[in-house]
Amino acid sequence: MLFSSIPFLYYFLPSVLILYFVVPKKLKNAVLLLSSLVFYGWGEPKYLILMVASIIIGYFSGLLIEATNEKSKKKIFLTINVLVNICFLGFFKYSDFFIENFNNLTGLSVKLLNIALPIGISFYTFQILSYTVDVYRGTVKAQKNLINLAAYISMFPQLIAGPIVRYSDIVSSLEERKTDFSKVATGLRRFIVGLSKKVLIANALGELCATFKASDDKSLLFYWLYAVSFCLQVYFDFSGYSDMAIGLGKILGFEFMENFNFPFISKSVAEFWRRWHISLGSWFRDYVYIPLGGNRVKKSRWIFNILVVWFLTGFWHGAAWNFIIWGLYFVIFLILEKTKLVSLITKTKVINHIYTLFVVIISFVIFDAVNMGEAFYYIKAMLGFSSAPIISTEFIYYLKEYSVILVSGLIGATPLVKSACSKLTQTKTLRVVVGVLEPIVLIALLVLVTAYLVDGSFNPFLYFRF
Amino acid sequence: MKNFKNIAISVIISAFILALSVFAWVKPNDEFSLNERRQLAKFPELNFNTLVSGSFMKNFENYTLDQFPLRELFRTIKAQSEISLFNKKSNNDIFEKDGYITKIEYPLNEASLNNASKKFKNVYDKYLKDTNTNVYFSIIPDKNYYLIGDDSNYLSLDYEKLVTNITSKTSYMKYIDIFSELSIDSYYKTDSHWRQEKILPVAKKIAGEMGVELKATYTKTPFEKEFYGVYYGQYALPAAGEPMYFLENDITKNAVVFDYQNQNNIRVYENSKGVLRDPYEVFLGGPLSLVTVENENATTDKELVIFRDSFGSSLSPLFIEAYKKITLVDIRYIHPNMLEKFIEFNNQDVLFIYSTSVLNNSETLK
Repeated sequence: MLFSSIPFLYYFLPSVLILYFVVPKKLKNAVLLLSSLVFYGWGEPKYLILMVASIIIGYFSGLLIEATNEKSKKKIFLTINVLVNICFLGFFKYSDFFIENFNNLTGLSVKLLNIALPIGISFYTFQILSYTVDVYRGTVKAQKNLINLAAYISMFPQLIAGPIVRYSDIVSSLEERKTDFSKVATGLRRFIVGLSKKVLIANALGELCATFKASDDKSLLFYWLYAVSFCLQVYFDFSGYSDMAIGLGKILGFEFMENFNFPFISKSVAEFWRRWHISLGSWFRDYVYIPLGGNRVKKSRWIFNILVVWFLTGFWHGAAWNFIIWGLYFVIFLILEKTKLVSLITKTKVINHIYTLFVVIISFVIFDAVNMGEAFYYIKAMLGFSSAPIISTEFIYYLKEYSVILVSGLIGATPLVKSACSKLTQTKTLRVVVGVLEPIVLIALLVLVTAYLVDGSFNPFLYFRF
Repeated sequence: MKNFKNIAISVIISAFILALSVFAWVKPNDEFSLNERRQLAKFPELNFNTLVSGSFMKNFENYTLDQFPLRELFRTIKAQSEISLFNKKSNNDIFEKDGYITKIEYPLNEASLNNASKKFKNVYDKYLKDTNTNVYFSIIPDKNYYLIGDDSNYLSLDYEKLVTNITSKTSYMKYIDIFSELSIDSYYKTDSHWRQEKILPVAKKIAGEMGVELKATYTKTPFEKEFYGVYYGQYALPAAGEPMYFLENDITKNAVVFDYQNQNNIRVYENSKGVLRDPYEVFLGGPLSLVTVENENATTDKELVIFRDSFGSSLSPLFIEAYKKITLVDIRYIHPNMLEKFIEFNNQDVLFIYSTSVLNNSETLK
């Protein structure tokens, strides 16, 4: 079920929230678990069993790791848990990728399995892994209550698209949490803002990207328009979903970590990745990069470490070479930045921004491509190495048609709106005005989003495939 | 103050969501959307199989979209936002220009033109080649041809290319150019179709090319209700209705019309049917696969077979005076292989007349 859908907004969510707030405290996690299972089963009824199995394996692994005092046994239990979960992920997400490559290498024609990717498997697998690793490290205690652990792993606000919530971050809230009007209001505000980002901006930009791909009238500028639009689409889509998840979490009494922090204002690729999909970046840092030795090792080992991390980051996003290359592409710039080679060229703030945006925009062309052939073709065309004209009729038409959305997207991707709002609330009079206007604006956004959902059919969610 | 604001936000938004939610549960279902001219989704079948297969969930989503409370109001809000807030020219590819509502027909789909040409050739080869029939072909421009013209602010088909493309592949038929017989006034403001009362020059031009003369006079009879065309509902913004007329005389009143699809006699102008769904169905019963119109008092003994789309429904009555029998075939609804059961192609005039919209989206042709 999508958050940005009528069944979720007007059927599932009100029913769940009423039930959640009506039942006594001790039943709240059970309600959360039950509703999360319905939420997950709504989209993938047959994969409920897989998720439940992963949860049960994670639960017993945690208990066994904690129960034994012998480090070697702890390691065995952890390894078994990691292997089982990686096998699930590998089988359901990557088997066809491996078969395809095996066929290409050997010339054989092993039949593809054509398995539909279980929604959210990449997210909940990482949560189970981090939980058991944390229990192994002794940073958290194993959860004795299966319902609590299952409620954490399957929690619907973050189940299918993150943020990747660490068990250590919400363990206390799982046991005891409070909800008040302040949290509900903050949660609702965040949810509606995220919903609007997704429905009003990301979906519209998605239409523009789809139009570009279907066009026979491509031009150099149209390629750039597409590339910029796609960057903004992914940002508003994914950060919108994270906002909704964080908002829903707040309403239910949880605090999820922030997942985005205006990544497009970054002055370097390293900074971009500190601001983009923060929960994934920090997961790889804590569970892969640092255990490998991080940067406190020989240079060659450090390069190996970051190659591993970025290979995995790319591969996590999708079972295709363009995702792997997308991940490894960043390694080049991270190394160049670390070795100060980039700073020799980019000496001013403006050039730093331009450099970062250029690298990021190109990266998302690779990310969105059907295959590397298409990615190279698009990049070549963007750099002027194609027979496409500089400008075309369709480019002019669609630039005009989407100008307001593009400008809104460009402004919304910077902290301008946020800082304007905080400046507005610095004087008492303006605070009152904003206080009165805020509920009106939120309702207006909700009405608008509802109108778009009722009328529209274009409502994809990009991160569903991860 | 801050706490009051939080309470206000929590209560107002929760109440809004809850109110719409309750409304959605209790609201009686609507059967049909007149604006969109389609059946609305019903509550899906709920059982173990539909749950496990996920079909219940998919259909439930369609159901909630179709039956959502105040659906038309929400559609209007969306359309208004597209135009006013996001400064777009169109909503769902429908736009208004100079008081005319129309749909973007773009780009030129050469594969579709090839497909249409192929389908026509199949009919020609199977039934018309080496016969003594006279075969003609005409293209009806959609109203964007006149509405957009050279205005570069809108995307529009390359009509010249379209005509050249398809006529070069249908050279076995005599092409009748009717582009200059029409203007934007020839079309309804809220619909894709042309106005019957404006297309007499078109009928005369085609008839002349086919060697018959049209002389009849008609009474311009108004349809009992104002006409709201297909784009009116799709555009979802307020637009005025417009009068609809049909051209009537004793010839049209006395003609015998048989609908093979439903195996019954109908009238040239089916007034009662049009009231309900698509008023344009008033012309020869609307989208029917095979219809014959017979006129004992025709000015010639000739027969005419028209391969047509919906535009042909309003054009055909104007040929009744001159032809003893007119057969209308819509190969979107009947496979051409079936025609040998109903038509013997011998010594007829045969007219293929299709709108640019159908030619550019010809996947429906069988």
